[in-house]
Amino acid sequence: MIIRHIQPLFYCLIFLFFSGCAQKTTVVLLPDPNGQVGHITVANKAGAVDITHSSEATVVAGQESKPSTPEILTEDQIAAKFSRVLTTLPTQPEHFVLYFQTNSTELTAESQKMFPLILQSIKNRNSENISVIGHTDTVGDRDYNLVLSKNRASSVSHILVQNGVPSAYISTTSHGKENPLVKTGDNVSEPRNRRVEVVIR
Amino acid sequence: MKILPGIALLIAFVLACSEHSLAQTESFGIVKSVSGEVLISSTQRSVRAAPNMKIVQGDSIKTGEGGDVGLIFEDDTVVALGPNSEMKMESFLFSPVDHELSFVARLFKGTFSFITGQIAKLSPKNVKFETPDATLGVRGTKLLVEIH
Repeated sequence: MIIRHIQPLFYCLIFLFFSGCAQKTTVVLLPDPNGQVGHITVANKAGAVDITHSSEATVVAGQESKPSTPEILTEDQIAAKFSRVLTTLPTQPEHFVLYFQTNSTELTAESQKMFPLILQSIKNRNSENISVIGHTDTVGDRDYNLVLSKNRASSVSHILVQNGVPSAYISTTSHGKENPLVKTGDNVSEPRNRRVEVVIR
Repeated sequence: MKILPGIALLIAFVLACSEHSLAQTESFGIVKSVSGEVLISSTQRSVRAAPNMKIVQGDSIKTGEGGDVGLIFEDDTVVALGPNSEMKMESFLFSPVDHELSFVARLFKGTFSFITGQIAKLSPKNVKFETPDATLGVRGTKLLVEIH
């Protein structure tokens, strides 16, 4: 009686095993938004395969079988499986860097002009998650620069709020002189390090 | 009747506090878009995903039959999960100053698209996607994965 029940299940499993219905992983490489094509290594117990060309794919069926020899997929083949995740994929966050006068929370004239672009980006992306990160150059001691970088971030955040961005959307952090854009010795005045980075997600 | 606004204020306050404490647990990503049923779960919680919800270490993201979700991570990595998909963030470290960089995600089933971010640029050997069939080492790029 029991065997009669188990038998169909057993045949089912055999069928799945040989029909290729068993689980498998397909990996496809595409150019990034700048047109650059990277490199993926697909590896398991049975071996490794590199895919290095645009639209190239490999298929792996289980840890015990080697990834298949890479093959270029057509646009239609890619769309058939992946059109939905390609549409859903968010655009990468946008970054803006604003520069400051020396030892001051006053923006350079050039950077003041950036705000319309920043506000437009927040609007276009419908962003409710904005990071404002303050930095200084290495003139002065650590504590002084922590305060200065914090004040720089606050002043940028304040301008955004004045222009209608809800403050709850903004998180400000400050790195003082610890995270320079351009590496310098201590006590070096470097305009490119006196900055606030705005990241719009 | 006067008590109602008071209660509303209290609820708002409690919500604001819980939101705050959630943000304190080192969030490293956000939900950018959701459609259909999508769950974010860990040993601590299981919630329906909504836009701008934060993602923390150990979170699993799971989509239902007709669901999909778009995620953005701190290092600019972007991810989409199609219907019937599941992924878990095993490790995310993004502290370039301390050279602490890692992006490890486990992909269980479904369809995925990724554009890798700054971690892949700064330390490609620390970016890994684990699927049931293989491990993917990824050097700065856009990729698609289907497990089915």
